[in-house]
Amino acid sequence: MTKPTYTTPAMPRRTLLTGMAAAGAMAAMPRRLSAQETVTLRWWSPQSSPEQMAAYKTQMANFEALHENVKVVFERTSDEGYSPQLAAAFASGEVPNVVTHLPSFAVSNYWANGLLEPFNEVIEMIGPEKFYSGANDIYEIDQGQYAGTGIGNSAANMIWLRTDLMEKAGIDAAPKTWDELLSAVAKMQGGGIFGAPLPYGRNSMTSLVFIGVIHQAGGQVMTPDLQVGIDSPETRDALEFYKAMREFCPPGATNYSWGESLTAFVSGACATGIYTGRVLINVANQNPGIADSITCDTYPTKSADIAPWTFNDFPSVFIPKAAPNMEATKQFAAFLFDPEGYIQQLHAAPGHVLPVLKTISAMPAYQDNPIIEKYSAEVEKMSEAAANGFNLGSESNAHKPNVKAGEIVNSNAISEMVQRIVLNDENVDQVLGETTARIEEIMAS
Amino acid sequence: MSATAPSSPLLERRYARLGVLLIAPTIMVFSLVIVYPLLAAIYLSLFSIYTPTLDGEFVGFANYMELLTGKAFWNSLYVTLVWTMGTLTLQILAGVGMALLLHQNLWFRSLARSLVLFPYFLSTVVAILVWRWLFNDLYGAMNHGLMQLGILDMPIDWLGSMPNAMIGIILVGTWKYFPFVVIAVLARLQTIPEHLYEAAKIDGAGPVARFWDVTLPQLRSVLVVIILLRAIWDFKEFDLIFLLTGGGPVTSTQTLSLLVYQEAFGLNQMGQAAAYSVGMMLVMLAFMLIYIRKTAREI
Repeated sequence: MTKPTYTTPAMPRRTLLTGMAAAGAMAAMPRRLSAQETVTLRWWSPQSSPEQMAAYKTQMANFEALHENVKVVFERTSDEGYSPQLAAAFASGEVPNVVTHLPSFAVSNYWANGLLEPFNEVIEMIGPEKFYSGANDIYEIDQGQYAGTGIGNSAANMIWLRTDLMEKAGIDAAPKTWDELLSAVAKMQGGGIFGAPLPYGRNSMTSLVFIGVIHQAGGQVMTPDLQVGIDSPETRDALEFYKAMREFCPPGATNYSWGESLTAFVSGACATGIYTGRVLINVANQNPGIADSITCDTYPTKSADIAPWTFNDFPSVFIPKAAPNMEATKQFAAFLFDPEGYIQQLHAAPGHVLPVLKTISAMPAYQDNPIIEKYSAEVEKMSEAAANGFNLGSESNAHKPNVKAGEIVNSNAISEMVQRIVLNDENVDQVLGETTARIEEIMAS
Repeated sequence: MSATAPSSPLLERRYARLGVLLIAPTIMVFSLVIVYPLLAAIYLSLFSIYTPTLDGEFVGFANYMELLTGKAFWNSLYVTLVWTMGTLTLQILAGVGMALLLHQNLWFRSLARSLVLFPYFLSTVVAILVWRWLFNDLYGAMNHGLMQLGILDMPIDWLGSMPNAMIGIILVGTWKYFPFVVIAVLARLQTIPEHLYEAAKIDGAGPVARFWDVTLPQLRSVLVVIILLRAIWDFKEFDLIFLLTGGGPVTSTQTLSLLVYQEAFGLNQMGQAAAYSVGMMLVMLAFMLIYIRKTAREI
């Protein structure tokens, strides 16, 4: 039996030891001396459909091609899950470099707690003159300081309609008021088709959609000076309408969030829908049979004299203050608006995320898309609605920014209020009183 | 003897030192993974802390006052007890029943013993996605099947209304975790001496009497351990309930684990969440102590 040997005749012991010593010395050198060290940038987004992922890959590859020592990795989050994930990331210090597509009210909350890097430099890199006028106002929480910027606009509570079913039911125009809507869904429901996929789940979609319904009744959740104003006759009307709609929604709507609600319309199970322009690409891919029979409008209001209220979550881009490699991070954040990748990203779900740069909207490359061409009237309507849209972070032009909006939504105070009234048939006065108290507690915390 | 006597205490001291040395890594690991988090949770519970920054101020026992006087903790405790009792009972019944069946000399026994473990091995996320699809109101196989059979006219809302939501999570929990009971009970069944059954048969005991008088007393010790472990795990179950119902409708399926999560990461109140988790631990500890004392006397 021979002993194992650790050196070969070709490599004498002295050479091996010298080599090991040199390797050890290299390893002990300060890392910053290595100028070409690979930098990894982490990008988080809740938007990650296959088409969007393909666009992100283009954007990441293009950026990496320009910066040889940079690698960008994409990490999924979700509309329901980003808050706990980011809370854990901020608490641990292991933050992503760039976060996109979160609602503006989440950004304002993080900014108010000193967790974000000012975005002014990135806006300068993109070119402030390229943005639509006022597009960044919602991110200017402190005077002259931007917490982030929009990566797009969205009109999240558009009503989607099946024109073939409307025609069959003798309805000649999109409903403009709640009474018209109730009448329309009553006529269209039947034969295995439900009237509407409104969400009644204990989740953010129910909260966000119902905030819109309160405004469509002429009410508000907070007053302009941020006092809780939800306990009002308008909210009572909104609850009554929402309760009346329940019988036209699928049984499982009590657990619906964005995905289920979207699928219920796209699959043809509901005569109306409530969503952004993502409906267009999903119908094209999943149910092309109804592609010629869909249209959209702003969601009906209590009466004709109340203006529509569109929920725009102002999908954002921001940078956590603790993100490493800040210079490369800012360059990447600005690069997300590079026309080639940005247009591909917008085309991934045409009409779902609408451009915030007027220079992009005007480009033939952006207009050159079969879905945008086919549904130009709908895209125009959504763009207009989104441009005049609001959310709980800023309920109207008169409202102060509400940095607690994210926590109000995450607390489920509003969706639980809806469930208690609509599903449990509890006393409205008591529920509204308790909801007010909960929101006041969050505002005071 | 006199020559060895002086060296004995020295040897004992050496052994004692060696013992301390050998047990030290275990104590260090135990302190790091159990004692430190426990003390940290108690410490955090005395502060009002904003989760993302971990900044906060000392508030003394204010979080515990909120726990005692608010409705959230007690409501979630009630939900947790209903869930735990419901799913644990069904897990034990289904597990013992299946173990007895698989203990018989069946021709497909080996295959069945492998297949019965499948739900336990399956990732919870994957299993819940499948169950959510089964429960779906528009396309779910459950509603579709029942409507095809003419049992239902309209789809049932399985997860969005009460008591369906609670029944739903209890049934899925039972399906997911009863294989653990099967494994443990089946292992014990195989060690019960055959002569006990033969003696019972000679005394005229039928199958039911043999189960009550021979099998069950023999299973008692293993069932005590199974109930203890499964009760602890079910009491703090999070992912299955969170993915199935998210705690809804309203807070009807919001167990203490979900309440802690909501408080820590939804509302960013880490201090209050820590107080809830300390309360949860104390409740579980109290139940376990009562259970252990009671079962120790009976065995």
